[in-house]
Amino acid sequence: MSVEAPIPPAEVDLATVDLSDRDWWVRPPAERHAALDRLRAERPFAFFAEPEIPGIPAGPGYHAVTRYADLEAISSQPAVFCSGRGAVSMQDVPAELHEFYGSLISMDDPRHAKIRRIVSKTFTPRMLERTLDSVRTVVDDVLARARATAEANDGAIDVVADLAAPIPLRVICDMMGVPEADRPGVLANSTIILSGGDPELIENDDPFTAFLTAGMEMAALMERLAGERLADPRDDLTTALVRSEVDGERLSHQEIASFFILLLVAGNETTRNAISQGLLTLSEWPQERARWAADPSLDRTGVEEVVRWVSPVTWMRRTATQDGEIGGHRFTAGEKFLLFYNAANRDPAVFADPQRFDVGRDPNPHVGFGSRGPHFCLGAHLARRELQVTFRAVFEQLPDLEVTGPPRRLASSFVNGLKRLPARLGGTR
Amino acid sequence: MRVTADRELCVGSGACEMLAPDVFEVDDDGTVHVLQDEPDDPDPVRQAAQQCPTRALSVEE
Repeated sequence: MSVEAPIPPAEVDLATVDLSDRDWWVRPPAERHAALDRLRAERPFAFFAEPEIPGIPAGPGYHAVTRYADLEAISSQPAVFCSGRGAVSMQDVPAELHEFYGSLISMDDPRHAKIRRIVSKTFTPRMLERTLDSVRTVVDDVLARARATAEANDGAIDVVADLAAPIPLRVICDMMGVPEADRPGVLANSTIILSGGDPELIENDDPFTAFLTAGMEMAALMERLAGERLADPRDDLTTALVRSEVDGERLSHQEIASFFILLLVAGNETTRNAISQGLLTLSEWPQERARWAADPSLDRTGVEEVVRWVSPVTWMRRTATQDGEIGGHRFTAGEKFLLFYNAANRDPAVFADPQRFDVGRDPNPHVGFGSRGPHFCLGAHLARRELQVTFRAVFEQLPDLEVTGPPRRLASSFVNGLKRLPARLGGTR
Repeated sequence: MRVTADRELCVGSGACEMLAPDVFEVDDDGTVHVLQDEPDDPDPVRQAAQQCPTRALSVEE
């Protein structure tokens, strides 16, 4: 059943487009992409003002990078376009704050390279092979619970709460060794940290305080776990983190805490949204769904296409460290660039028929995990594996899954998220 | 074909290991090691060099 048919929208008036306005990001994807298409074609370095956040002064604004080639050029020159002045916020926030919340994402080399190496040891494909079985077990269990929920509710489930949220949460918490009792708190806090200030997700309408409180709670959990693992090592990522050294140097408690937040938040929300938005997309493209469901050899390309199509992280920021010129645009030191991965992922200069969702697309050089450069997604293998297992399991175990209503979209420019997606399991009595 | 890795550039993304697990391995130091510097099957190795996010792999044909 098609709830939000991918029909081409009417002509978009660029004067009404403000990429800084979080409410713009709840508009239907077809409309958003029509606007991004026009920006890419007509104003590839379009300038936008920064939104006001209570407590943080608005900065000078940013350029929205929408062409694949420009995005790749910026991403692959980290010395000219740095991350250390903030990669996950439009505004310049105090360095301690963005390092705390962004960890590696908001760091430059050589510090970035050092810390990244500690972690890349844990996220190698070989290490992940070992966790494959546990991913399967988690997915099977979540799907069985979704079936039980449907049976108790006349077939109704919420794709986000019943399928998409619990899978990555359990996988990442298993890897980190987070106890069962702490997991609901991890889910709640990671939702707040990546809420983009969406009022529906923030109590008391004070996003900044809610954000800080959520971060403090995550850091407190990490402190506790780090202490426990130092005393009593186990076979988990937290133990590896507290014990690992780079060039004879151990991570500080603060570095561990912020890395932990990065993993829990990034490992949860991105995969959650790839699952929920992927299932929504498949409901809108029933022929592609049938084609993929019938052919497990499409699992690899199908997942890549979901990541291209959804682009779970919409942008990352870079800041120019010097004057220069890129793609015909002259810039000066201090200028900010937002790399719009979702726009680059539909650039007709790179993707044939980019507005077509094609589960067999190959090659598919999408930038859904980031573009060239040292900040390429650390969890890409884990995400790919989780998504491949999840979609295959849904095709096999929940073939009767039908989306029954429009999604409730997250009001955030940063994360392409769904808060709810009503569905039913038609085979449930 | 001959393949070499620049471990200063490598950030251990593991993309190469996914494509050519017989040729590349991200090691305990978090960077790539080339297991076969003259690989039998050149295609996945070329792909790996192309897809490496930091262009840390060089291929001489």
